[in-house]
Amino acid sequence: MIVCVAVVGHQNNPLYIQSFTEEDDALKLHHIVHCSLDVVDERVNNPKKSGPTLNETFLGLLYPTENYKVYGYLTNTKVKFILVTTDLDVRDADVRNFFRRFHAAYVDAVSNPFHVPGKKITSKTFAERVSTIVKSFGLSSAG
Amino acid sequence: MANYLAQFQSIKSACDHIVISVEDVSDLWPTVKNAFEERLPFKRAILNNKTRNPVLVDKLPAEFILTTDARLRSRFPQEQLLFWFREPYASIVLVTCEDLDEFKTILKPRLKLIVQNDEREWFIVFVSKAHPNNDQATKMAKKVYARLEVDFSSKKRERCCKLDIHGPEPNFWEDLEIKIIESIRNTLDRRVQFYEDEIRKLSELRFMPIWNFCNFFILKESLAFMFEMAHLHEDALREYDELELCYLETVNMTGKQREFGGVENGDEEAALLNFENKPLTQIVQDDSFREFEFRQYLFACQSKLLFKLNRPFEVAARGYTFIISFSKALTQHENILPFCMREVWIITACLALISGTYSNYNEGLAAPDIEKEFYRLLGDLYSLCRVKFMRLAYIIGYGSDIERSPINSASLSMLPWPKPSVWPSVPPDASSEVLGKEKLILQATPRVKHFFIQRKPLPLEPSVLLREANRRRASFSAGNTFEMFDGRSAIDGSGSDAPLRMSSLNKAQTISMSRTNSSPGFGGSIDRPMRLAEIFVASEHALRQTISNPSLWKSLSSVEEFEQKYLELTKGAADNYHRSWWKRHGVVLDGEIAAVFFKHGNFDLAAKSYEKVCALYSGEGWQDLLAEVLPNLAECQKILNDQAGYLSSCVRLLSLDKGLFSVKERQAFQSEVVSIAHSEMEHPVPLDVSSLITFSGNPGPPSVLCDGDPGTLSVTVWSGFPDDITLDSLSLTLAATYNADEGAKALKSSIATVLKPGRNTITVDLPPQKPGSYVLGVLTGQIGQLRFRSHSFSKVGPADSDDFMSYEKPTRPILKVFNPRPLVDLAAATSSPLLINEAQWIGIIVRPIDYSLKGAVLHIDTGPGLTIEESHVIEIESYIEVSQRAGDIANSNSALNDCFLSDNKDFERLSLHDGRIQLPDWASNVTSILWIPVCAIDNNLARGSSTVNPQRQSIVDGMRTIALKLEFGVSHNQIFDRTIAVHFTDPFHVSTRVADKCNDGTLLLQVILHSEVKATLNIFDAWLDLQDGFVHTGKDDGRPISGFFPLVVSPTSRAGILFSICLGNTIAEVEDVAVQPESLLNIRYGIFGDRTAGAHPPVTAESNGSEGTRQDLIFRSALVLQRPVLDPSLAVGFLPLPSDGLRVGQLINMNWRVERLKEFDQSKDYQCNDEVLYEVDANSDNWMIAGRKRGHVSLPTEQGSRIVISVLCVPLVAGYVRPPQLGLPDIDQANISCNPPGPHLICVLPPALSSSFCIPA
Repeated sequence: MIVCVAVVGHQNNPLYIQSFTEEDDALKLHHIVHCSLDVVDERVNNPKKSGPTLNETFLGLLYPTENYKVYGYLTNTKVKFILVTTDLDVRDADVRNFFRRFHAAYVDAVSNPFHVPGKKITSKTFAERVSTIVKSFGLSSAG
Repeated sequence: MANYLAQFQSIKSACDHIVISVEDVSDLWPTVKNAFEERLPFKRAILNNKTRNPVLVDKLPAEFILTTDARLRSRFPQEQLLFWFREPYASIVLVTCEDLDEFKTILKPRLKLIVQNDEREWFIVFVSKAHPNNDQATKMAKKVYARLEVDFSSKKRERCCKLDIHGPEPNFWEDLEIKIIESIRNTLDRRVQFYEDEIRKLSELRFMPIWNFCNFFILKESLAFMFEMAHLHEDALREYDELELCYLETVNMTGKQREFGGVENGDEEAALLNFENKPLTQIVQDDSFREFEFRQYLFACQSKLLFKLNRPFEVAARGYTFIISFSKALTQHENILPFCMREVWIITACLALISGTYSNYNEGLAAPDIEKEFYRLLGDLYSLCRVKFMRLAYIIGYGSDIERSPINSASLSMLPWPKPSVWPSVPPDASSEVLGKEKLILQATPRVKHFFIQRKPLPLEPSVLLREANRRRASFSAGNTFEMFDGRSAIDGSGSDAPLRMSSLNKAQTISMSRTNSSPGFGGSIDRPMRLAEIFVASEHALRQTISNPSLWKSLSSVEEFEQKYLELTKGAADNYHRSWWKRHGVVLDGEIAAVFFKHGNFDLAAKSYEKVCALYSGEGWQDLLAEVLPNLAECQKILNDQAGYLSSCVRLLSLDKGLFSVKERQAFQSEVVSIAHSEMEHPVPLDVSSLITFSGNPGPPSVLCDGDPGTLSVTVWSGFPDDITLDSLSLTLAATYNADEGAKALKSSIATVLKPGRNTITVDLPPQKPGSYVLGVLTGQIGQLRFRSHSFSKVGPADSDDFMSYEKPTRPILKVFNPRPLVDLAAATSSPLLINEAQWIGIIVRPIDYSLKGAVLHIDTGPGLTIEESHVIEIESYIEVSQRAGDIANSNSALNDCFLSDNKDFERLSLHDGRIQLPDWASNVTSILWIPVCAIDNNLARGSSTVNPQRQSIVDGMRTIALKLEFGVSHNQIFDRTIAVHFTDPFHVSTRVADKCNDGTLLLQVILHSEVKATLNIFDAWLDLQDGFVHTGKDDGRPISGFFPLVVSPTSRAGILFSICLGNTIAEVEDVAVQPESLLNIRYGIFGDRTAGAHPPVTAESNGSEGTRQDLIFRSALVLQRPVLDPSLAVGFLPLPSDGLRVGQLINMNWRVERLKEFDQSKDYQCNDEVLYEVDANSDNWMIAGRKRGHVSLPTEQGSRIVISVLCVPLVAGYVRPPQLGLPDIDQANISCNPPGPHLICVLPPALSSSFCIPA
């Protein structure tokens, strides 16, 4: 189950963060997303590590923890997408596909002339679209 | 073969280096032993690795063992093959012989016997005992050695070398070493080949049922061990890696259900770095090994090699993944393992890895990025250990001491509970402990956050422990009752007393329910669901069983110990993360450390750490997280009495997203700020409220001011405070855009301002500013004792909370002050002269230049000779440019003009006070003309000009000045000074001439009147008061015929009047009247002029200016008349020159005779009557005059007196030249008669010839 998706701006500021848990514990997901920026930073700033995947937007699994997984995606404008999932058995292709769709939704959202670049994304359409993508991710991985 | 396992282990532990056998044929070993062993270990050995590539090995250890040694003797052949790795890698045969025959007969066959049938790598060391001085012996030794070489060395291989005991043989040791290494290399190659073949054979059988992992393991490890002995660690490591892969492959093969292991006492203590933890024989399981122990063993072997390879960071990296994957394996077998075995194992494994790698790690060993990675791994290990440790602590009831922070929640709430097959139950004699725990639970009150912030605590548990534990009890299938009250206990997670009490209420019911399926293994006491305290106690007892490590158990034995360990782990993680790339992890953990410090009252350190965390979150705009930490920081600061920090924290709290705190909380923040501001602050601190109070100019164009003008400025201020806030003072600085050096100027509004939440408009007074454009700088002010400042400029709306990036200076100017420019102009309305000595209007045009003259005051200061007619009021009227009404002027009809003026509505009469006039308001924006009645006084009588008296009046005579000073502007700050010159003049200038001299002595005197003014003058009358000596011919008063009057004189035109006069005396009648030296022309006239054009009728008291009343003015002008000269009084006669003519250069006397013809006239004002001034005038080109050219001569005043003036002259040029003339400058030409007159020209001859010039010397 995807528990959280987030868009983080190029200055590491949160642009959009949405958790999909029932409990009121979004803060811990904020923490996970925020800390995962360490890994993104490390991959971006450490050319040796990111050597072969330098030009790839998909950063792959950021956190190999026991209980949840964090995936990252970095756009050309240094905007990061973070996905936190509690599924421990996730196919890479699914995640890639998810990020591709998420990126498209993000691009549509920031193309809105009323959106101020660098500010939080407040579009409801975007939120709805994201939740659709998240739901369909659950389905495709289950199926 | 598996039976050899024990033997294998013992062999392995017995030998860890390469063995070189020594066949001591000639009992030489004791002699050379020391020298040989000195060579150990070999410094540089080149060996081949598994892929037959040469590898340089530094310091290869080895041991020389005599073949007679028990260690080499007692071996069975089969053993030898199996444990081939321990067999000697080289054989040295030590021989000596001093006799060739002896060599041939005895030694050679023996040697042959030794070396034959032996696959060993051997070579012979011939030891020569011959003393170097003993030639015979030396020679013999050489011979024997030569023979030896012939017999045993081949072309392919040198197998002999010679050692001279007594002589230095430097090359020998080198040679020996090379030979030994060569032998070792060859042996090694052969044995590797052998093992590989064997392993391959065995691998092929891997999927056969007869496959035995132990055999494979022995072979594989033998190979690995051999590599290790040869210091080829890299290859050894590879063997172990392959072994691990192979093992994992086989262990996961289905079909064979094997024991996992880990159930023995002490197993929970991870042995992943301790390969000697358990003998392998103990962990053999059928044909393989138990996974639990064996995987740790393999990892320990690998890490041992990695440490030898100086790669502790790789141990850490592999270790972390090993722990994670092993943890999964433990999870799978959790139901057979002791309670919480997995957690304990991970804790010990992490700690072992950390200490193991850290002790093998030297700073600067690796490249910086590897080093960072290493520290990151250590940080990961620490935090993994920390999480498991917290989990254990929670299970035994220290949950209330664990900070419910996001990081702890993230790591604990997603971590499943331990899943033992049966949850441990309360031991029978633990009721006191249960009571104690219950007491603790009751005492634990959730800490009230500062500002009374109400937050639902973050969960530390994946699900409610109460339910989880009870469900896992075999006697209990989770009933609905549990679901019911667990749902409530989930609200506060930690399980407060409410559900506990409820559980006791429901006890009876649940017992009756559960009785039916209670298992016999558990006592009746546990048939009811356990309470939380009981769960804690049960877990504690179970853990005590699990944990064998006393120090770990000690850490869990009390809350204090737990906190100490917790702090140690957190610090370790934070420190290591700080040294790695993962700064955020480190800082967040700092926050956890701070929480512990805080709890223990170490507020100073806590504040420092909290500040770091807050800086991290606020720097990147993670407000949700910031909102969690910032109140803690604020509380620390408050306790520490750090008012500055506390205030800034409050402001930061207020400036966070409004959704993050409730209105009540925000109001609490504000009241804190306000109460501190109004309290006695020891050190009043400036507070930056940029995030809270923002300001901007009003939209639209900037306000505009002229140089030197004050004004007001309207500013929009956004307040982020939840309530109204009173600012005791407020000031704004303006920064000039053009000049950065110029200090910003502060605009103050000292009155208290109340800011509403949201938008406020504030008006501040603006003192005069320098020219330029200005932007808003800083907003400062005071709340009570607190000085605050805000740099933040909001564009239109309130500053967005995540505006931290677009923190930019406003660029739009709010104020423009123009450069100094003329704002007003004062000018005289007319340039044409006005009448002197009459009251006249001076028109002053006041023209504002795009600037309001509201309230302007004009100071008028007249210069000398000019007075303001105070009796008259001053008029002001609006003014229309002359050019616009040029046509009207052309008509020059005063009536028309008046009509024109009356069309203009703006007309006002003003009065002068202390030389000041207040301009009316209507005149503030239009050009107006100010009419001031003045009178220029000139006491001199106008003088006419004539041929007799030709001087003309200077124009300066009629010039008067009037100094004007206009004060205007908002606060009369603008001053305009101007001095206006006004020209006054008489209406006429009079000149006279005698038009005709009649025969009868009548003189026609023509008086010409030049009009000096731009106005029509009407002459109504004119008469001439004649001076002495003249009389009017008709004996009348000398008036012209009245029918000529009125005579109209157009502006600047002339008129003439003829007077007929004659000489004569009129004084006879009035004796007492003084003799009148001048004639006086009197003209009675009227003037019709417009004050807008120039001279005009004088201002009357009525000042109505209507044309009905005619004002007759009198103009007087003095005229000087002179009687004509009829008889000259002096005669000048030129006395004749000598008749012989004049010659150039010849001195002659020129003589003039001056004779007084009549007595001097008394009336003439000559002072020196008896002296006459003369002057000789001659062309200096023609004449040289000796003597005085000018001088006085005495001439008595009596008639007939005469004098001769003679002057010595020398003519200079020949020809007809004008002679010198005698003039009398003091006397009128008319009074001189020339008799006889001087010649016009006289002839001057050239100089006489002089022979003296021609006489030769």
